[in-house]
Amino acid sequence: MLRESSIASGTAVDLAAVTDRSIDPRLPAGTPLLELVDAVITGTTSEIEAARRVVHDAVGWDALVDAAAVIATFEMMNRVADATGIRVGRGMLASTAAVRRLAGIADARHS
Amino acid sequence: MTRENPTIRTDITDALRRAMARLGLPGSWHTGAHRIAIAGEFRRARAGLDAAADLPPGSLEAGRAVAVDAAEIDQDRVDHFASIGLPLHGYVEVVGVVSRIAAVDAFHRALGYEAPPFPDPTPGPPTGLFDQTAKPSKGFVPMLRGTSIWWALTLVPEAYEGMEELHSILYLSPHEMREPGSPRALSRPAMELIASRASAINECFY
Repeated sequence: MLRESSIASGTAVDLAAVTDRSIDPRLPAGTPLLELVDAVITGTTSEIEAARRVVHDAVGWDALVDAAAVIATFEMMNRVADATGIRVGRGMLASTAAVRRLAGIADARHS
Repeated sequence: MTRENPTIRTDITDALRRAMARLGLPGSWHTGAHRIAIAGEFRRARAGLDAAADLPPGSLEAGRAVAVDAAEIDQDRVDHFASIGLPLHGYVEVVGVVSRIAAVDAFHRALGYEAPPFPDPTPGPPTGLFDQTAKPSKGFVPMLRGTSIWWALTLVPEAYEGMEELHSILYLSPHEMREPGSPRALSRPAMELIASRASAINECFY
């Protein structure tokens, strides 16, 4: 979906930034958004506060709320997928091999 | 965070309030009190605290696994939960409860709000309701309409409906997902970047 949306919008996102935080995603506010995701899922309260402030300054309050909502959604959906055994099928594995290599997720156990 | 807060979309605040209220209702396999206890164990597990709730062993173990170890769950584990008394519809209910409280809490945490308090449980026995037309899937639980993330919780309609509402309001509806743009203040590529990173951290490549 990231690759498709970047193509559709004409934005050249670097997919490798999804798994390699040293890489700039080349998306407006991409780095602070990634910082916010990391902080919310694995960080401390102060790390979240710092990341939130940078995102707010970069994209404004409404977009920050949207970012929080997307993080929340995938905290839910990742658990649903893993806990119910939703796997990447052979066809999807083949058709997404190049994208998964770029994003650094070649070993995709789940869909 | 209140409904009167003008800076958060009311569809979000309403959906989160409904999600919390749902926790306290009797479910398919669990009472309202047990559902709240399962959600409480999510918070304890996430905080690195030992289990404390008085729950049936299958429900407790499954709840904490979904909370902090979902990527390691496999068929053997789900079978184990069943062997210690948690039937498949009870397990799907647990997945629904834990995944939804994970969403609610992550949203609050991201914006610097306190996690909402749990509601008082509604008395009454479990409903026993699950969809008996769900078929064996390629996943760990029966599903309607084949194996897919969207139908993953359909064995228990309440669990599916709760997930579907939060997904559509916090992220995108199925129709909006098929459109290239974003109906939100955040661009679609930014939304997908966030989704991809969250999934990578959680070791889930959905």
